[in-house]
Amino acid sequence: MSNYYHMPKLPSADSLRVTINVDGKDVVVPGDTNLIEALRSVGIETPHFCYHPHLPLSGNCRQCLIETEGPRGMGLAIACYTPVRAGMKVATPASSPKVAKARKTVMEFQLVNHPLDCPICDKAGECLLQENYMQAGQGESHVREDIGKQYHGAPEHRFEDTKGQDRGGKDIDIGPRIILDEERCILCDRCVRFMRHVAGDEQLYIAARGDHAFITTFPGKKLDHAYDLNTTDICPVGALTSKSFRFKHRVWNLQHTPSIDPTDALGANIWIDHDGGTVYRLMPRCNSDVNRSWIANSTRAAFEALSTNRLLDGRLQGKTVTRSEALRHMMEKLQSAKKVALVSSGHLTLEDNAAMLSLAGVLGPRAEVFGGSWLPVAKPDGIALSGDPVPNRRGVSLLGIADNLDQLVSRAAEFDVVLLAETDLWFADSKQAKALEAIPNRLVLSAWDTASVKAATCAVGINAWAEVRGCMVNIAGRLQMMQAAPVSPVDALEPAWQTLSHLAGSDWNEVIEAWKFATGICSPLASIKYSAIGSSGLQLPPSGAHT
Amino acid sequence: MADTSPKVCTVNFGKGAQDISVYKSLGGYSNVGKRLFDLSQFELIDLVTRSGLRGRGGAGFPTGMKWSFVPRGGKPVYLVVNADEGEPGTFKDHFLMLEDPHRLIEGMLICGWALGVRTAYIYVRGEFLSAVESLNKAISQAYAAGLLGANIGGSGYSLDIYVHRGAGAYICGEETALINSLEGCKGQPRLKPPFPAVSGAWSSPTCVNNVETIMALPWILENGPEAYAAIGVGRSNGTKVFSVSGDVKRPGVYECALGLPIMEMLESEQFCQGVIGDLKGVIPGGSSTPVLTTAEASDAKLDYESLAAKGTMLGSGAIIAFNSSRNVVTMLQSLTRFYAHESCGQCTPCREGTGFANRVMKTVVAGKGRDTDLQLLLDLCEGFTPTTICPLAAADAGPIESFTKKFRADFEAAIARNPERAEERLHPNFRPGAFW
Amino acid sequence: MTHANLPQQPTFAEIAPRLETPAMKARVADLIRRYPSPQAALLQVLWLAQHELQWLPQAAIEWSAHQCKTSPVHAYGVATFYTMYQKAPVGKFLLQICQNVTCHALGSENLIAHAEKTLGIPADGAHVSADGLFTLLRVECLGACGNGPVMQVNDDFATDVVDGVVTMPKSISLTTERFDKIVAWCRANKEKGLVRDPLGGTLAGDLGHPGAEGASAQKQNSDYAPPPPALAVKAIAGTGVALTWKAAPEITELRIEHSSTESGPWAPLATCSPKDKEFAHATGIAGDCYRIVAVSGARVAKPSQIAKAGV
Ligand SMILES: Cc1cc2nc3c(=O)[nH]c(=O)nc-3n(C[C@H](O)[C@H](O)[C@H](O)COP(=O)(O)O)c2cc1C
Ligand code: SF4
Ligand code: SF4
Ligand code: FES
Ligand code: FES
Repeated sequence: MSNYYHMPKLPSADSLRVTINVDGKDVVVPGDTNLIEALRSVGIETPHFCYHPHLPLSGNCRQCLIETEGPRGMGLAIACYTPVRAGMKVATPASSPKVAKARKTVMEFQLVNHPLDCPICDKAGECLLQENYMQAGQGESHVREDIGKQYHGAPEHRFEDTKGQDRGGKDIDIGPRIILDEERCILCDRCVRFMRHVAGDEQLYIAARGDHAFITTFPGKKLDHAYDLNTTDICPVGALTSKSFRFKHRVWNLQHTPSIDPTDALGANIWIDHDGGTVYRLMPRCNSDVNRSWIANSTRAAFEALSTNRLLDGRLQGKTVTRSEALRHMMEKLQSAKKVALVSSGHLTLEDNAAMLSLAGVLGPRAEVFGGSWLPVAKPDGIALSGDPVPNRRGVSLLGIADNLDQLVSRAAEFDVVLLAETDLWFADSKQAKALEAIPNRLVLSAWDTASVKAATCAVGINAWAEVRGCMVNIAGRLQMMQAAPVSPVDALEPAWQTLSHLAGSDWNEVIEAWKFATGICSPLASIKYSAIGSSGLQLPPSGAHT
Repeated sequence: MADTSPKVCTVNFGKGAQDISVYKSLGGYSNVGKRLFDLSQFELIDLVTRSGLRGRGGAGFPTGMKWSFVPRGGKPVYLVVNADEGEPGTFKDHFLMLEDPHRLIEGMLICGWALGVRTAYIYVRGEFLSAVESLNKAISQAYAAGLLGANIGGSGYSLDIYVHRGAGAYICGEETALINSLEGCKGQPRLKPPFPAVSGAWSSPTCVNNVETIMALPWILENGPEAYAAIGVGRSNGTKVFSVSGDVKRPGVYECALGLPIMEMLESEQFCQGVIGDLKGVIPGGSSTPVLTTAEASDAKLDYESLAAKGTMLGSGAIIAFNSSRNVVTMLQSLTRFYAHESCGQCTPCREGTGFANRVMKTVVAGKGRDTDLQLLLDLCEGFTPTTICPLAAADAGPIESFTKKFRADFEAAIARNPERAEERLHPNFRPGAFW
Repeated sequence: MTHANLPQQPTFAEIAPRLETPAMKARVADLIRRYPSPQAALLQVLWLAQHELQWLPQAAIEWSAHQCKTSPVHAYGVATFYTMYQKAPVGKFLLQICQNVTCHALGSENLIAHAEKTLGIPADGAHVSADGLFTLLRVECLGACGNGPVMQVNDDFATDVVDGVVTMPKSISLTTERFDKIVAWCRANKEKGLVRDPLGGTLAGDLGHPGAEGASAQKQNSDYAPPPPALAVKAIAGTGVALTWKAAPEITELRIEHSSTESGPWAPLATCSPKDKEFAHATGIAGDCYRIVAVSGARVAKPSQIAKAGV
């Protein structure tokens, strides 16, 4: 691997548009990118393995061949490394038998030494080798069975199978979270480039050379990094797979719901992969402006909480009650209260917090809204974590809620009711939270059976982040939307905004009503429609940043 | 009979020029001073361009033109001398460095002044430790004589030269792989563009030239570009140092004017003094150049254009002659094995294709070939030649295509030795000790 | 299937006394100063380590990586890429017989068969003869085809023994008899071995790479400028002053400055291209002073020495 690499140039909304000729037809494409991206922009997918929009270019798989005009007439070139030039001529397999043949040949070479064990491979269904074979490679093969294969693998892992064939390593424990199958590796070096250029910790390398090359860590060392699971996503084949997802589920059965990292204020874009009401994994969702294609292992692990320690019903003085009993109790307490402290939450969406503000409006001068968090903030890691564990901190302040939990502590004696929604103050700082125990009525809305639930006089379960639709504003002022995955453990649960609207007596049924309320009270959000947010979010103008 | 052909790079052979005092007494370094430092960079590049000197590393690219691509006034410029000499059949650079290391240093000073180089490297293949020793000795002498280091000859110009020892990888002869290897990486070729002249070592402009190319410079400066251009034929100017091996009476390193008939090289008294046995074929320019049959060789001339007209190349000037007692089938397998062994493993078609082609050749040699195998080999060549990063795969195709075409009867006979077309599996032979 | 030659890997503590020596430290530092980045010295440092230990255990690869400030796995990739680094112990004499095209045509297979029989080990580089002296290895073209078939013993080309020295005389190729002669020499010299400095000796007088750690050469950054050209001026009655100068490399622009006294003030007179080597100042007179400033991109040199127009 070379020291000097070029990152691919990706098209943007303000890319200069130029005309190129593809297969004899003129098309208009972004002028500042490579041919893979340009062709994709006009709906032509080019099969590829080594190219990744967020990794440096390597150009080693040679699968993305096209023909373009060079000094010596039309010739083969790799689309991933060929920049768009206005007026250039490009031929894809649609018009060039030469390209079709070349791609098929490369695919054949790719399979010469591949084990083809798809039936037992975890990647089956999302393997680029399978996909590209369908696109480029089908046909009669030249491979002679009797010549045997030269499987890729480290000498210490090689073995002879029952047919007498020398094999590469299988099921290698390469790290605490990842399993390596050496034979399946197609040596695209994506994982190597990820570890070197994105993670910044070179732990993987392709050793040896020629068809004896193999992917490896330093002997005796493990692949162990806070972002290492990304290598299992970008590995185009089933060479690197995640231990936690291993054999859990066939990928073609999974449904994907777009969402936002609930653990960090960068708001990395994610997919919730679920089936039959169960979430199987969280995967990165590509967003060039936020997390590119990467999420931290800690983000991935967030799905495990969705099925552990949930609060599915109500609690009254420590005893389990139904949700409606708990809600009735809360409503009574709010109505009779002299002074209510409402504690907003950066873990909830803008809609949820708007619903709290609407409740405050209903309660009038009897209510005061508090905000903030006691969770410690770390430094950004430059990849996909900002270090701030409160995902919607920026959104809460955008709604005009101050960071004033300290005041709540010092003035606790003024209140007879405190209402917390998804903010676990007793966990974040049990010493400070102790002061709140002076307030006789402590009402808690929470998806989990938390320390605050235990300290509450009355608590009620709500939906967790994966189960609700709503918006958050990330640390850079980007408005992003999470969609609800149908994975609520029980049907009775409601999102926080809905429960709060019941308490306010307004009975909103659609999240859009909460959104309308939010846009009405918050000028930076004014007149923004859900449809304007888009899958990659909407950057709010910086003026709103200091509200 | 005395050797009467013109000598540019090998003039000092056998004269003990390894020692700086001998080299100087033979006229060496006399131009490193006023003559050189009075010339501006442009005059010098123009001078090299007018001499018609072309790269002797294999591609034959005009040297003056390559130098003119090097930008100045920006990042530091590097000169890297390519002494990785790995093309089977080639051994001239080794002898050039052993016999006349100071000529290489003088040539590097000329190139260095032309391009504003302050640090230059000589990348020597790992097996040539004796050449590394010879160069280090000569470089130390040059430092002591004030010909290297700071303010050379009072010109204000300074140059440092280091020898970088390779460690066994033919592909490091490819200029971008060489640069990666110089940077302490695996020797894998880079994607082009950018070409090294613009962005090479440490992403600085880098001039990569073969040993012989650089060693022609002192003569050109001394005698003038016209004198150099007057040697040779057509667009193949000057002399070339040939490495001749195989079935000839006196194999070795010979310099002659370009355009010499191959047969004269093989048979003349001043060169190889004749072929042993009846000539069956000649590889004219190193293992990757297509082989010539005796008939083709009979009127072939050793220059870029006439060999191109014969469908082959001058390459690195490595002539391998072999007679009818040699087995061309196993010879080809030794080459397919070589390219499979030397593929850097970076790009798919070459990594898997050269290895597969070699396994096919192995089955043929083992007497397990099939009628379709020759076509299979040609298909593989057609598949990997145009689709790779560097020309190594194409270099494998050169011998495969030419050997199987020109000596078809031998290959068919080898396949026919296998009457029942045995279906036994042939294991790929994994040798960790040798490979990794 | 296990591979016979997966070697026992020593720990770093076991090899440290050989590597962590003052001499080694000085040598590594000398290598690193030759390059703009320490990583570039990796191949050379691996050579040194291999020389000390006769092979490259993983701990030595990791040590080399640390010396060159690169990651261990990078160094592992590099060490496994190049075939001359021995990843398992080899005999005192590593006999490498060329099997490539010329040597093959001239009978290297017979030689290899003979060698395997004589030494009782296969030529796979993975075995050491019982006496610990020999390892046999088939290799590709050694770059000595004119002597084909040829062999290298450690770092020496070897086709014969002449006057008690293993050597490769012109046009002498390896035969089974000469092979036996060389093997006999090795046995006789097993104490001494056949050892050379792995990097062909050291240099004296070099400056190092500009800006590298420990180097004395000036850094080629904005404060480094090309040497100013030497200027000569002549006033010619009636036609002004003619300036000529000698070249210097790296120049992208030349600025000529003029003053009527040697102490200035200096006024810009003209800008010349690096191709120019002369300039005529039509209104110049005898006694005028000139100097020239060389420019290389963003770098501007100190002005040249002042030249006064004579008559
Ligand atoms: C696979 C391959 C191997 C090469 N090996 C060598 C070599 O051993 N020595 C060499 O001088 N050039 C070699 N070259 C050519 C170099 O890439 C490069 O063209 C040359 O060093 C330029 O120098 P020149 O212009 O003086 O010939 C090789 C090229 C390829 C593609
Ligand atoms: S492990 Fe996967 S990502 Fe890494 S090189 Fe192999 S195929 Fe590519
Ligand atoms: S063609 Fe072969 S040697 Fe060249 S880059 Fe590709 S794999 Fe490496
Ligand atoms: S995607 Fe273009 S070469 Fe791999
Ligand atoms: S072929 Fe044996 S040394 Fe070149």
